[in-house]
Amino acid sequence: MITPWMNTHLLTFLVFAPFLWGALLLLFPERQAPLVKLLAVLGAAGVLAVGAAQLLRGQPDALGTIVLERFHWFSAVGIPVEYHLAADGLNLWLVILTVFLVPLTMLGTWNSLPSRPGTAFALLLMLESGMLGALVAQDLLLFYLFWEAMLLPMYFLIGVWGGAERRYAATKFLLFTLSGSLLWLVALLYTAGKAGSFAPGVMAQAVQALPGKVQGTLFIAFALAFAIKVPLFPLHTWLPDAHTEAPTAGSVILAGVLLKLGSYGFLRFAIPIFPDAARHFSLLLAVLSVAAIIYGALVAMMQTDIKKLVAYSSVSHMGFVMLGIASMTVIGTQGAMLQMLNHGISTGALFILVGMLYDRAHTRRIADFGGVALRMPVFTAFFMIVTLSSIGLPLTNGFAGEFLILNGTYLSGFHWGKAAACAATLGVLFSAAYMLWMVKRVFWGPANPDPESGTAHLHADLDLREIAVLLPLVVLIFWMGIHPQTFLTQSEGQVSRAILQAHAGEVKR
Amino acid sequence: MTITAGELSAILPLLIPALGACLLPLAALDKDQATVKWVRGATFFMALFCLAGGFFYITRLWATGAQPSYGAIRMDRLAQFAGIFVLVAAGLAVLQLWDHLHQEGWVKGETLSLLLFSAVGMILFVAASNLILLFLGLELLSLPLYALTATVRTRAKAFEGGMKYFITGAVAASSFLMGSVLLYGVTGTLEIGALGQALAARNPDPIALAGAALLLMGFLFKISSVPFHQWTPDVYEAAPHPISGFMSVATKGAAVMALLRVLGAGVPAPGSARIQAALALVAVLTLVVGNLAALAQDNIKRMLAYSSISHAGYILLGLVAATPAAYAGVIFYLLSYLVMNMGAFGILTCLGLVGDRTTFDDVKGQGWKRPDLAIAASLCLFGLAGIPPMAGFYGKYMIFKELILQGHVSMAVTGILASLVSVYYYFRLPVALFLEKPTAKAEREASERPAFRASLAGAALLVCGVLVVVIGLFPGTLYLSIASRVVADAFPFLR
Repeated sequence: MITPWMNTHLLTFLVFAPFLWGALLLLFPERQAPLVKLLAVLGAAGVLAVGAAQLLRGQPDALGTIVLERFHWFSAVGIPVEYHLAADGLNLWLVILTVFLVPLTMLGTWNSLPSRPGTAFALLLMLESGMLGALVAQDLLLFYLFWEAMLLPMYFLIGVWGGAERRYAATKFLLFTLSGSLLWLVALLYTAGKAGSFAPGVMAQAVQALPGKVQGTLFIAFALAFAIKVPLFPLHTWLPDAHTEAPTAGSVILAGVLLKLGSYGFLRFAIPIFPDAARHFSLLLAVLSVAAIIYGALVAMMQTDIKKLVAYSSVSHMGFVMLGIASMTVIGTQGAMLQMLNHGISTGALFILVGMLYDRAHTRRIADFGGVALRMPVFTAFFMIVTLSSIGLPLTNGFAGEFLILNGTYLSGFHWGKAAACAATLGVLFSAAYMLWMVKRVFWGPANPDPESGTAHLHADLDLREIAVLLPLVVLIFWMGIHPQTFLTQSEGQVSRAILQAHAGEVKR
Repeated sequence: MTITAGELSAILPLLIPALGACLLPLAALDKDQATVKWVRGATFFMALFCLAGGFFYITRLWATGAQPSYGAIRMDRLAQFAGIFVLVAAGLAVLQLWDHLHQEGWVKGETLSLLLFSAVGMILFVAASNLILLFLGLELLSLPLYALTATVRTRAKAFEGGMKYFITGAVAASSFLMGSVLLYGVTGTLEIGALGQALAARNPDPIALAGAALLLMGFLFKISSVPFHQWTPDVYEAAPHPISGFMSVATKGAAVMALLRVLGAGVPAPGSARIQAALALVAVLTLVVGNLAALAQDNIKRMLAYSSISHAGYILLGLVAATPAAYAGVIFYLLSYLVMNMGAFGILTCLGLVGDRTTFDDVKGQGWKRPDLAIAASLCLFGLAGIPPMAGFYGKYMIFKELILQGHVSMAVTGILASLVSVYYYFRLPVALFLEKPTAKAEREASERPAFRASLAGAALLVCGVLVVVIGLFPGTLYLSIASRVVADAFPFLR
């Protein structure tokens, strides 16, 4: 009974099972929190097991699609909206990253939420639904719905369980992202009205008939929404606030998956629908990306709070992703795909690690620490590995991604390619500087002598649960660094087709 | 004079609640302390029963597809939809009133009678195909509302609000009447259809234009659009919570639908481009004023009142687009607005907030006490803010899409920016409910107050919360089965 249904509705299951499970868990009273937490983790683990097993087993067809569900949903006011979900080369690994990170995050923050942890875990499950839905949605209105549906659980995660300035941060997050996506909705409705459909392929054809200026305006509206989510400099200001105020679980998911949806939106929708406009604005995108890389790194260097430092490093790393996309080459785009995964894993791991440190010391100020390596050697080992991957040490995941991106940018054929690649390399240098300097101040040297310091509160090294959370992440860090091909083959065909199409108009003109 | 079965079926949905409204004050006469509880229960049951009776007949008409008429009362699809809309809103209001009036300590049978009369007036307002009957409907819906606003007489604000509503409403009604007179003088007919044809046949002359403008003013007052909106926040604040909800939903809805009928018949034909431009201006101003004023409110009811002004703006944008699809979008919008706004006002009753204690401070941290109800109310507010996948998104979607297709991109952008602003104030209530700690004063007062139960109001709120999501998940079904059918059957001229 269940198995045939699952075979044909795998994606529906993946998208809605976490939501329904989360909604069910909300019904439990607060005093049952430990049970609710356990059920939530089991649910998320179940989704991971089913999702990973089924998706990795699936064989892609000629166009790269692995699983597909498609039927007519409704057509209010003439334009049909399709319930069209698909997992293909472009989103496969992002989907797996999502289902992988959610249970890990829950385990990693098992004891970090002081009040109502059950409700928070249920919200995480609901958030997972929104993210998975947005990742696999192929119809643009469907994508928009999931895109917006992600906001509410995250808003409450930050607003209820966050730090002292949580309401400010949550509201800023909500208004920033909404303001982008609402204007995008106008452009979306306009384009759909011209095309008579919300399917990206049909839209792309209709867009070709529009005057260049209109195409450009529409592309900017699309790009703005996605760039806010990424977030691209100078639209990034909501991110440090949201990251710093969010509870660990929120930060991990925010960095791990949510930000990726911005860059994914460029790859999946903005560039394929508006290839000419994308080429026209690629210089602007590249300049902003390089600015994000360097600016994010410089600001990270000045931070006194570890979590804020990691948050600004996100701005810098996501700048690399956007640079790879702006290069509009196969190598650069593949690098961006890989870097999205890298960032999800490395920065996610960093946020989990910072959360573990905070749970023990109740402070995140760099100056409050010193000599942590003496107190927590295992923790330090994990932190060092993740730090090195974040810096992009060869044989770790960070290196492979950044290398491909810089390579693609350099060879892009755009007149700005070489300059942008050189400037972005500075970012690699800076990231080594701020990360290692922070690690030096926090972990090495003599232990902080102040009896009130953070170091003085560190009484226990990682327990088994925490090691179990970090170990898979570290394995992935090396796997992706040593054999990135595992993660690149699925997307290769689709990316090269998309890039070819994006450049098709160039010859004509 | 005999009435045929068809004619009877046209007026039965009006007669049943009207009959109930006449009987209710008699039933509530008994003031014996021993039986008063039973009498109260009986009056509420009777009111619900009459509403359900009307609802039953009108849905039967809808199901069979019959569109009977009696004289100038035309029970067509539009009127049937209006009937369903108003009766459901009234039913939800009655459920909430039971709890609210008990909390206020002011349970009287007349309240329900007035409510039923008002509901009858609203249906009549939409069903009328003649200007005089339209005016009668307008008065029948308005007069009980003036009294309802001042129901809880012990509050100083109640009387003030009722008086304000009465005086401004009287001005609006007279302008409506004056407009009808001018149009009659120019064309010699009161029938809306004939009036439209007569106006279309002649050159626009100033008197007809003045008549159309005055008529329009009467409608805009009831829709509470700028610049006829000033009464709204004061009156909503003064009225009992469920009555405020009812006014915001049913009055606005009935007025919009009656306006649809009049506009659809082509009555403001004199220079209809000019009327259209005026509508566009009014719509944009309504959006801007309503949203900006709502931002500054500390009182939840005033915030909801200003937000209801801004919703009038969205609806008017749909009238500006003026295509069948946009009209259907307006109908859909009203439908989702019904559940969302009744739910939003419902939370006040469910939390037991009486009198002036309706500020954001009063609800801080209350969400964790009744999470189910607070979540339902939050869903309604997200819907009002137009956040998908809640119902409110699709009404806006349909209207904006038609606007964009008609080339009014800048108006769509204005509307979208307005709804962005609205997110900020709509989120203040969930934020207060869940994200903030109760004030010391509120906690002290809560411990002093006797415990309350709001089971009926709570049930109504839960229904609204569930519907907001269900409508959001299946917008297509509702659109096809209701909204587009209303437009297709009621506006043959649009095809």
